[in-house]
Amino acid sequence: MTARKRAKKTAKTTKRSAKKGATKTSSAAATKRSKTAAKRAVAGTEVVGYKAAWRVANNAKQSDDARTTALISLGSAACDDSDVFAGLIVLLRDTATSLAVRLGVLAALQAASFSTIRFAACRPTYMTALRAVAKDPAFEMRQRALGLLMREGDGRAQTMLIEGLENPAKALLPPEKALQLLAYDVKSEAYPLARRIVERPPNADAKREALRLLAADAKSTKLFERILRDKSETGDVRQISAAALQSLAPEALQTYARDMVLDHAESPELQTMSLTLLTQFGDADALTKDARLGERVAALHSSADSHAVKQGAEQFIGKYTRGSDADRA
Amino acid sequence: MSVELRINNSSDPRARYVSWAPTPCTIRVSSPVGIPGPSPVTVVLQNRANGTGGQVVFRTTLTSAPAATLTLQLPLDGASVSFFVAGRFGQPSVTDQDAIIEVRRGATVLGTATCMVRIRKNANALTTGERDRFIAALATLNNQGAGRFVDFRNMHTNAGSPEAHGAAGFLPWHRAYLLDLERELQAIDASVALPYWRFDQPAPNVFSRGFMGVPDNLGTVQFTPGNPLQFWRTDGVPGINRRPFFNTATAGASVISEAATLALGTNYARFRNMEGSPHGSAHTSFGGFLSSIPTAARDPLFFLLHCNVDRLWGKWQRQNARFDAAQPTSYDSNLPTGNRIGHNLPDTMWPWNGVTGGQRPPTAPGGTLAASLSATAPGPQPRVRDMLDYQGIVSNLARLGFGYDDVPFA
Repeated sequence: MTARKRAKKTAKTTKRSAKKGATKTSSAAATKRSKTAAKRAVAGTEVVGYKAAWRVANNAKQSDDARTTALISLGSAACDDSDVFAGLIVLLRDTATSLAVRLGVLAALQAASFSTIRFAACRPTYMTALRAVAKDPAFEMRQRALGLLMREGDGRAQTMLIEGLENPAKALLPPEKALQLLAYDVKSEAYPLARRIVERPPNADAKREALRLLAADAKSTKLFERILRDKSETGDVRQISAAALQSLAPEALQTYARDMVLDHAESPELQTMSLTLLTQFGDADALTKDARLGERVAALHSSADSHAVKQGAEQFIGKYTRGSDADRA
Repeated sequence: MSVELRINNSSDPRARYVSWAPTPCTIRVSSPVGIPGPSPVTVVLQNRANGTGGQVVFRTTLTSAPAATLTLQLPLDGASVSFFVAGRFGQPSVTDQDAIIEVRRGATVLGTATCMVRIRKNANALTTGERDRFIAALATLNNQGAGRFVDFRNMHTNAGSPEAHGAAGFLPWHRAYLLDLERELQAIDASVALPYWRFDQPAPNVFSRGFMGVPDNLGTVQFTPGNPLQFWRTDGVPGINRRPFFNTATAGASVISEAATLALGTNYARFRNMEGSPHGSAHTSFGGFLSSIPTAARDPLFFLLHCNVDRLWGKWQRQNARFDAAQPTSYDSNLPTGNRIGHNLPDTMWPWNGVTGGQRPPTAPGGTLAASLSATAPGPQPRVRDMLDYQGIVSNLARLGFGYDDVPFA
């Protein structure tokens, strides 16, 4: 045999062996390929076809990481393909599936819902599934589902949340979270409940969220004025009170903000907030002529201990003393 | 001798804003004193060196190559000479009017004109001044719930959603929406351009208390006491609910990459699937306002998110030369059936067309699209087709007056 023929024979043999080896490891390689491809879709270089992504996402033998990564690249296929959509709804409601995957399914469905026209046919089934998982054993699933439902103005979700506030044994979420979600669709029926929570808050977060919900309630104006002026209240509830008063009693708020700047015993946080409020939303004519306030702000600018107060003072001076060009620097 | 230079063919200082697209200008001799006639006088236009500020390039015609300087012959009778100015790619302005054009005759400076190379930038890379001007303008537009922002909030609800989502017009509609908001911000502070949140990359500066805020354990966003967004209010309720499902300090949102997005397809019919991913995925990388259509626009981050969506479209357009509405690959006309009303190239877009009832939503908040002295397009009632040629590549008159820091003109 010539050397040339021997080389050709060796090459053929090598090729046959490679093919045999490839067959044995093909299924492991396919799994690895689909995982890698799904990861690459998020990491950088290519978008995996949605069918391949769905095969990974729907495969309980795949890792949670691989499945959630695959779900991200489904895009509009989550609703365009009826089999994929049906499968996603099954996964969403299946409490035996890992929470991480179910939350990934929820995100994929919600992402697809942004394509309103394409999602229209899927929406009723999706909303039904959301109402079902609003009572899910997993807190995070309940929280997300109820949030999505409340943002869609779902009356049943609202009823569930109010029931939970009135009867803690029926609560699906902690009171502060329920109040936060109720604020998506504020109804005057919720105001008395929120006022009771402000008076007897189960915790600080619940008080804060109850105040936020009351921000459009004209009957709560005095409450907000009291809280804003009470230095024993925390900064965040005093700030919410200021924000509420801007629409409930804007002229009174400017007076309060002015008083807080002039008050040497006021906290730097509230002084900065007041300076920002006056700079951004204040009555320019009145503030430009307010010599006493101007002197105080100048003093704060030069000698306040707080850097934030100094910055707030500088912005105030820039607007009401040097004119509008100064803040372009 | 003195000269008069008009940018955007206007003597109004509010017209002195350019992007990467060539902007028509004129120059003329306003006073020929000291110059012996009758021959035209030769002048040179050039940038004044200004450190980190904006720089421009000049063209004699739309088809001539851009240059750092331009030599012109000016008649002494005061007749105007036309030319074009554009921002030099890679050197946008940092502050208002920091780009200075000098007109020289020999060593003598006959006159100067300032302008701003006003460009949409990566929100994570803004200077403190750029950031603060933007959020101040945004807070003013919101005016604690009582300002013009309420119209923008009301344009993006379930009622209006079919006009903007789920069909071919998704990208043009949102481009018009952002442009309208940006022009309203510029009416407050002309130096402001909408920044984009590059959602496939970490953006720790965006998710800071001094900018878009940091959520507490409930998802209520917290700001520094000096940040005017602390007074943000929508639907009668103060505050912003935003709960990221990713580490905003170290990671991007759970989306496909920019490279993967740009590779979705070379024709618009394929590319527009980016509505689901990465656009939809960016929204649902959060709990709170952003994660649902009816509440998404309550969060100011929405506009930075969509600015990035628009930037991706602009980048894809340039990559594939898809600016011409007459090219079938530039848009998905869904022939022969056509698209839903509002999504076809000749259709005017709600709400700016003021049309209500029938197939359109019951109300049309906000009125016509805001005008600008920097660009005449797209007009008060834009059509879908008006949003494609945003840099005026097919027709200079079609330019919309904005550009992105990483998407050149041509």
